[in-house]
Amino acid sequence: METFVIGLSIGSILFMVALGLAIIYGTMKVINLAHGEMVMIGAYTTVLATKHLGFNLYLCIPLAFLVTAAFGYVIERTVVRRLYGRLLDTLLATWGIALILQQLIRIHFGLGLFGIHIDGLGSDLQNVPVPSELQQAFQFLGANIPVYRAFLFVMALLLGAVSWWLIFKTRFGSQLRAVSVARNTASACGINDKRVNTLAFAYGSGLAGIAGVLVSGFKTVSPDMGTPYVVDAFLVVVAGGVGHLMGTLLSAGILGEVQSFVATWLNDVYGRTVLFTVVILILLFKPQGLFVTKSR
Amino acid sequence: MRMMEERMTYRTASLVAYVAFFALLMVLPFFLNSFWTNRMATYLVYSICALGISMSWGYAGILSLGQGLFFGMGAYMLAMSLTLADPGNNPVPELMLLNMEPDAVRDLCCVTTGSFLWIPFRWVIVGILAGILVPCILAAVIGYVMFKRRTTGVYVSIITLAFALIGQLLIINNQPLTGGFNGLASLASLEIFGFEFDPYGPSIYYLVTLTLLAVILLARYLLSGRVGQVLKAIREDEARARYLGYDVENYKLFIFCVSAGVAGLAGMLFTLTSEFAAPSLMATSFSISMVIWAATGGRASLLGACIGALLVNFIGSLASESATFQPVWPIILGGLFVFVVLVMPNGIAGIFKDFFDRRSAPRTVEGR
Amino acid sequence: MTKQTRRTFLKVSTLAAAGLATPSILRLGDRAWAADEIPVGIMYSLTGTTAIVEKSMNQCAQMAIDEINARGGVLGKKLRPIIEDPASEPRIYGEKARKLTIEDQVPVIFGCYTTASRKAVLPVVEKRNGLLVWPTWYEGEECSKNVLYAGSAVPNQQLENSIPWLQKKLGKNKLFIVGSDYAFPRGMAKTSKTICQNIGMGVVGDEYLPLGHTEWASMVSKIGSSGADVIFSNVVGDSIVAFYRELRNQGYDFEKLPLCSSTTTEVEIKAMGAEYALGSYVSLPYFQTVDTPRNKSFVEAFKAYAGADSVTHAAMEAVYTGVNIWAMAAEKAGDVTPEAIVANVGGLSFDAPQGKITIDPQNLHSSLTPRIGKTRADGLLDIVDQYAEPLLPLPYSSVGETADKRICTTAGATL
Repeated sequence: METFVIGLSIGSILFMVALGLAIIYGTMKVINLAHGEMVMIGAYTTVLATKHLGFNLYLCIPLAFLVTAAFGYVIERTVVRRLYGRLLDTLLATWGIALILQQLIRIHFGLGLFGIHIDGLGSDLQNVPVPSELQQAFQFLGANIPVYRAFLFVMALLLGAVSWWLIFKTRFGSQLRAVSVARNTASACGINDKRVNTLAFAYGSGLAGIAGVLVSGFKTVSPDMGTPYVVDAFLVVVAGGVGHLMGTLLSAGILGEVQSFVATWLNDVYGRTVLFTVVILILLFKPQGLFVTKSR
Repeated sequence: MRMMEERMTYRTASLVAYVAFFALLMVLPFFLNSFWTNRMATYLVYSICALGISMSWGYAGILSLGQGLFFGMGAYMLAMSLTLADPGNNPVPELMLLNMEPDAVRDLCCVTTGSFLWIPFRWVIVGILAGILVPCILAAVIGYVMFKRRTTGVYVSIITLAFALIGQLLIINNQPLTGGFNGLASLASLEIFGFEFDPYGPSIYYLVTLTLLAVILLARYLLSGRVGQVLKAIREDEARARYLGYDVENYKLFIFCVSAGVAGLAGMLFTLTSEFAAPSLMATSFSISMVIWAATGGRASLLGACIGALLVNFIGSLASESATFQPVWPIILGGLFVFVVLVMPNGIAGIFKDFFDRRSAPRTVEGR
Repeated sequence: MTKQTRRTFLKVSTLAAAGLATPSILRLGDRAWAADEIPVGIMYSLTGTTAIVEKSMNQCAQMAIDEINARGGVLGKKLRPIIEDPASEPRIYGEKARKLTIEDQVPVIFGCYTTASRKAVLPVVEKRNGLLVWPTWYEGEECSKNVLYAGSAVPNQQLENSIPWLQKKLGKNKLFIVGSDYAFPRGMAKTSKTICQNIGMGVVGDEYLPLGHTEWASMVSKIGSSGADVIFSNVVGDSIVAFYRELRNQGYDFEKLPLCSSTTTEVEIKAMGAEYALGSYVSLPYFQTVDTPRNKSFVEAFKAYAGADSVTHAAMEAVYTGVNIWAMAAEKAGDVTPEAIVANVGGLSFDAPQGKITIDPQNLHSSLTPRIGKTRADGLLDIVDQYAEPLLPLPYSSVGETADKRICTTAGATL
């Protein structure tokens, strides 16, 4: 039972990081290697807001969403926009952006060069205070469950639900779906596909920012904290089936459980190894994704 | 008639570029001290790596993000032989003595679990051959499964990436056999027929340069003929190539293996210039760097890829070593990648080609 | 369009030409040392994953050099630091070490933080006759004559004091050893098991996680179900923070299940937030709270140098010791060449912030004072146990080295 809960919470984190990537990759076929840096910026927003503005963790969630969405907006308008249709080039350009963002944090956005230091930035490790009610554990069906992990799970479901509503129940969502299925037709029907792209990119980045807030609660915040996430999240997106929200959710859950069970049964090294093997097998035998029954 | 003439201009120009490049490389050591000789040799090893990427990505559209795995395997194979050649590691490598059970027999057969795998590496020639063959065979297995399942595009990248991650984890986790995270560092110099290659002398430099030349010639030979045309056809439209009756899978498998072999070769040379092999060579970031070298130079140009690797590494090291740029060197490097992708999508070589193409036939637009 | 492309081409080719031409320019520039200067290399990562700790080590090395220069330098010459950024990658450590040793011809490099990086530097200093002054506590198992292991603890100096203490003072008998997956934690675990066997303490678990792994839930529940009554942690880097926070989140309390770490310094405690580490133990030779006038002035000096909110920690103190002991050896030898330093450094003592440090003439490691600290609410540690005298370094204790039966001697290691 405990192992299952741990798997769920690993899956929740994977899902939150992967969700934004799934939207970005699914709609506009951009491999965004700077996505991990959005997680990082979300985490730094939390550090700065708790230090200087006296915010608590909950208040940071909308703030981080706005900040990272703004970063995403700028990145899309300046770089990514020029690269549509050139999938692998987006990989290179966003890797470059990732390098730049990390270093900007290290040098306090350039102010460090003039001797100005902002508490909370720089190459040091940072941390975020977690509200005390999230630091407890409770009993459920005989298992000892940390509140923070339950909180992660709830947040993941919530973000999933909001995204689902946004994509399937709003006007923006139907435009988004139209663009991702047939860009030119959608454009011909009067949809401003560039605007849709920009907003989708910003929204996806914002989701990563929220993941950053939540990750900062149990992990150190440092300029290169995002890099490992982007690889894992990308594996989740691709394994779940590109452009399928449900697929992403389920594959995050399954990969989280796989890692958790193997780690408990053998050790964490094999947990990771088996995780990667499972992804390879999925891509080989169901390259359109685990949960896609009909292909377009 | 005019077209013919103009085509010659570009061809001649690229021939001149090749000759000038290698002539420069051949005379360079006369002007370099031992540090710069060694650094140039290391960067030329990266050039060989970029060549491997260019062959599979530029020509056949197969982008491997696990090239570091093949590079690392090559490095480890030779490093194992050189470990055993070091007198301090006789008869059993020190790393095994440190990791063995207290009462284990001090022989390579059984000092630690699996240590017998090292026995063939007592002969350096085995290390050298394995450095090319093991990556090739590994690539053949990975490639066979991938291409038979008709995996394409970004899925190939992800699968190779996942394989590299697995390789790295397993090497780190089996410390008594592989040296673990710290890798293999107490290596002898390579000695062939009594001639010792000095990592800081011109001998290694010329070994690397000549290998680079050989790989370029091999690649040109392979790619300029029929195989190259078929691969380009596959890159442009795989289904169409298949309908035309070409055995798409085997062509892809072939170039994927060659590219892995080239990476393995580069890995071995890296062991010679840098005197160590470690799991960090299989890290994702290093594999991505290799792709970036090729992209900067021009993925579909062999010489371009070589120059790209040199250029990116030079800019990186010079920026990080100058007092003015040290605080911002990753920004310079990151900015370079963004710049390359936005402004010169075909890399340096692309601009070179455009320059000549445009001059001759302004109205021709190169199909991309 | 055509024009623009052509212009870009020109720009790029000029750039390329400049790039290729620079080496010779640099070479001329860098070679011209003033006769009254000694160049020294400083090589700690300023970017990448370990920059977090190494940046403070870089600052501390520069501070130590400034202090020496203010006193008149070494052999009447000023030290001139050449700072390199190896970006937390072993392969770049090797490259930068080559640059410093061969190109800049520095007689000494103060650098490295992880063993993986030291292993990449080792062939360079050994074959090209350089000297590395290595600061970090590590797994030992090395006996190079081109490395001065100044201020760096080896397993016996962190374990001989702490494990018996856990048994005697805390009355604990079931130890769970946990670490990151590489040589240091594995070496520490081996020495720990030997000690446990000698004092009749049980080891109920010995587990590893991939480096940089931050998903601790499975491991913590494994520790919980193992029946352990005390944890010894050799976890490094990012993983530390995730580990402590996970213990708290799963409801463990360091008063009931004590944890002793060999790696959690003031930096990591500050990074995770002191409340998460409160009450946990650390075994290291130096803490910021060492209560001597010598240390107080060191802490003050560093705060004045690097900022009031900076902390001092063991690896940083070792950097400081390393620079100073190297300078003392150079004065004694009247020369800065690596051979002269190595021949003269043995037996030298330095009055370091932690107390007296002496370099062992056999293995070039340092006699250090083992200490155990208990984390308090402000993120510093109360010293709850310390040796009266420094303890001899035995770098090969994991394979049975003792003070009477040395494995590493001036002649090298005999396994």
